Amino acid sequence: MQIRLLAFLCCLVLAICYQATARTAAPTWGNAGRQTHVVSTVLLQTPAPQGIGGSLLAFFSRLGDSSWSVGLHESRYAYDLIESVHVWTLCLFFGLAVMFDLRLLGWTMRSVPVSEVARRLLPWTVVGFVVMVISGTLLFTAIPLRSYQNIFFRTKMIMLLLAGLNVWIFHSGVYRRVTTWDVASVPPRAARVAGALSLVLWVCIVLSGRMIAYNWFDCDRQPQRPIINFMTSCVPNQSEEH
Amino acid sequence: MSLLGFFQWCEQSGIGDTIRRSSWLFPVIEAIHLLGLGVIGGAVLTVDLRLLGLGLRRQPAAQLARDAQPWLVGSLLLMLITGSLLFLSEAIKCYYHEAFWFKMASLFLALVFTFTIQRKVIMAGETRVRPVWSKVVALVSILLWSGVGIGGRWIGFS
Repeated sequence: MQIRLLAFLCCLVLAICYQATARTAAPTWGNAGRQTHVVSTVLLQTPAPQGIGGSLLAFFSRLGDSSWSVGLHESRYAYDLIESVHVWTLCLFFGLAVMFDLRLLGWTMRSVPVSEVARRLLPWTVVGFVVMVISGTLLFTAIPLRSYQNIFFRTKMIMLLLAGLNVWIFHSGVYRRVTTWDVASVPPRAARVAGALSLVLWVCIVLSGRMIAYNWFDCDRQPQRPIINFMTSCVPNQSEEH
Repeated sequence: MSLLGFFQWCEQSGIGDTIRRSSWLFPVIEAIHLLGLGVIGGAVLTVDLRLLGLGLRRQPAAQLARDAQPWLVGSLLLMLITGSLLFLSEAIKCYYHEAFWFKMASLFLALVFTFTIQRKVIMAGETRVRPVWSKVVALVSILLWSGVGIGGRWIGFS
């Protein structure tokens, strides 16, 4: 059930990306604002950018020129409103996920059966996650190339995958035997490890998500260490010419 | 000292100055502030969803409120400390920002409401409170805390 939901979400995100690139920008709008325009023109002339995931650069550069993207980041209120939705839903998703993790660690609601917390609270985290992905995708669409090359964004995506993996391991592993430890005030070790991992990962995801807003390691801020440029698929020599 | 004078004094304080001069202190404190917000959200929603009949329906609301209390109070303290630090670094901006005053008003009301009216309703137990009042209390609580979170986010928008 949850696997299918995740697959559906991935398709939705892809569809939004496709939709955004299929449309051509209105010629009068131009490409200004939050976009790192200098880098995007350079990369379009570069057939094979180096670093991790360089082949997607042209795609996100094109996404940044789409009318969706330009409209989102030039709108007076759209970006701020979507970001507010993203923060509000963080309370719903992250907050309730933390409460479930704390129950797994035996640090709260010790008298409530774990399966009951899972059944009654986790559906809310799924709702929250869907809204987070949609609002997050819109925020990404507003500034695609800069976000894609942002070191914190990349860290966040990797940790999201790890968090998803942790959920999968938990639900297909120790949670299948939940009836044997449902009412234990402190669940078995495997469940506590899953709870602690989830807690650490989601905390890091929130932290790195907040840090995407800062441009310390951005491609248009050179010189950077070679390792940073590698991790952000940045081609420094060419962007320095501007 | 006038209110603006107090805000100016905060802005000129050593702590505010240190945070302003560092390129990473403000972002890090802000990120911790955001984590605190998330945990408050979880503690508040666990109780409010129960009152709305949508969350852990089989558990007594009073018990859930007691379980969530340490996390609510703990993250509130974290929020107050990190929030004060953020405020010290940009007090004058806050003075002239409507979102800051909106947030402070929401925070005051949310705190008073949570620790007086809502606590009374929860501790009275299901038998002595009409279900509709539990739901109204939960909705008011969600609205007030949302005001705090969204008001806070809008302080960052110019």
